[in-house]
Amino acid sequence: MTTAASARRSEFESSIQVFEPHRASLPPVRPYLREFWRRRRFAYELSRTTQKAANFDSPIGSVWLVLNPLLLAFVYFLLIEVISGGAKKQAGWSSFLHIVIGLFTWTLVASCMSVGATSVTAGGKLILNQSFPRALLPFSSVISSLMNYWPTIPVYLVMYGLGLVFLPHVPPGQGSKGLVGPTWALLWHPVLVALLVITGYGLAMIFSTMTVYFRDTTKFLSYVLRIWLYLSPVLYPVSAMVEKYDKVWPPLGKIMIYGNPLGPVLGVMNDIWVEGVSPSPALLAGAMLWAAFLLLFGGWFFVSRERDFAVRL
Amino acid sequence: MPSDSDLAVKVEDLWIRYRTSYEANQTLKGAVLKLGKRSERSKKSVRVVEAVKDVSFDVHNGTVLGIVGANGAGKSTLMRAVAGILPPTEGRITVNGRVSTLLALGVGFNAMLSGRENIMLGCLAAGLDMEEIQQKYDEITEFADLGDFIDLPMRTYSSGMYGRLAFAVSVHMDPDILLIDEALSAGDAAFKEKSFAKMRELCDQARTILIVSHALGTIQELCTDAIWMHKGELVRQGTPEQITEDYLRFLKVGESALTMEDV
Repeated sequence: MTTAASARRSEFESSIQVFEPHRASLPPVRPYLREFWRRRRFAYELSRTTQKAANFDSPIGSVWLVLNPLLLAFVYFLLIEVISGGAKKQAGWSSFLHIVIGLFTWTLVASCMSVGATSVTAGGKLILNQSFPRALLPFSSVISSLMNYWPTIPVYLVMYGLGLVFLPHVPPGQGSKGLVGPTWALLWHPVLVALLVITGYGLAMIFSTMTVYFRDTTKFLSYVLRIWLYLSPVLYPVSAMVEKYDKVWPPLGKIMIYGNPLGPVLGVMNDIWVEGVSPSPALLAGAMLWAAFLLLFGGWFFVSRERDFAVRL
Repeated sequence: MPSDSDLAVKVEDLWIRYRTSYEANQTLKGAVLKLGKRSERSKKSVRVVEAVKDVSFDVHNGTVLGIVGANGAGKSTLMRAVAGILPPTEGRITVNGRVSTLLALGVGFNAMLSGRENIMLGCLAAGLDMEEIQQKYDEITEFADLGDFIDLPMRTYSSGMYGRLAFAVSVHMDPDILLIDEALSAGDAAFKEKSFAKMRELCDQARTILIVSHALGTIQELCTDAIWMHKGELVRQGTPEQITEDYLRFLKVGESALTMEDV
């Protein structure tokens, strides 16, 4: 058995490989991570070329990356401001901007989940013909989502700039009353995007594994995402959500924010972009805990089952 | 144990079973609908397929092993298991060296992408870095000899061109062990000659090749050793001449056993 154990350690290495039965157990973690890292370029190129293939028939192709979230923001603006009748002129435009940045952020994680969910089933041919760490497939979806996210930032900055010219400012921390000017808190942005991406990768691994076993997962997922959006602090700030739910039952507001894997991280995004203040420590801690938990749990959930994928596809 | 050092592949008591359901895809909806009647219906719609049953054999370095057998004999499943794609249900496979696969489904190619991009993706997934790929790239395109088609989406390729590119990629990965499944029929006569020459070259470098083929002529011409599988079991191992002869005789005599399987 000792020889088997030492040989198993070298799985994926170019020398001796041993394939034995397994029962939903993790392959040796270190070689797995090393092989994963060695092939990171594969995840990037897969993302790039898949994107290219997907835009093949679309004349304006990548313009949709920006157009999609803009149209979405417009729809939600109509829904919230015009139909609900709460149009207080200036607050209307500043809350439009708040909705736009909230949705741009949401789209990043939502796309990690929805694109990630199909990554394994779509990579069927590759899985049946090549042996490689399968976690690269959802990772590639996360790269795609991130690539789609970047262009929305300059778009928002232009809109924000116009807002700053034409709308009156309010001091930091009073985002609900109007538009807060840019503050140093925005420097947190890359850190928060990293947290979002880690969280999104964890969720992508969970949903892609579920899709292998139940193909209908992707169909349910579009509804799950819609409901999830309404339950998250995207269209309204954390404080408004807490206030609303606390009316029903006092601790419910906190439970709704911290019990939601995306609640804290979307909350801190809201802090820096809408309120212009540094992330609240409690929310930041919550966001980091969820990111770490989802990465580890999602990784375990995916990697312990990935050798079963070839049989299921 | 005798000296295992010159063994390229060692398969010990290998069993591969998989469960398959009658519906094309397993769905959550189907599962939910079935929840109440789990005992009755789900048992009927799931069948365990024993694709490989208690197979053991050794392959020495430098061997060209031919695998023959009727459809459904478990040949492709066995190849996938050796490539490390399908996990064994029981038993053990030890592989000594870098494996490159040329399997029937077409090497993970995305038909919307050009041949060039597919080569790059295939090589990256196999663990090569960009520098190595740059070096290999010219060799691969020259060997596949597709001309301008290399930069066109692969959906414009004929099946022969597809096979040529797949073969070119897998032999240029510097494999220690090359697995070829039914792919040699794809190219024309000239390409077949070229691919045979390339395989002989690999054998001379003490590389090991496993070939699944229905073309018994190919098996006799190329292989140094052969096994015959039938319905998941290893029937016989021997010289290519002997095995193909036995297999042909079996095809004639045992027709009743095979008419069901559309040989």
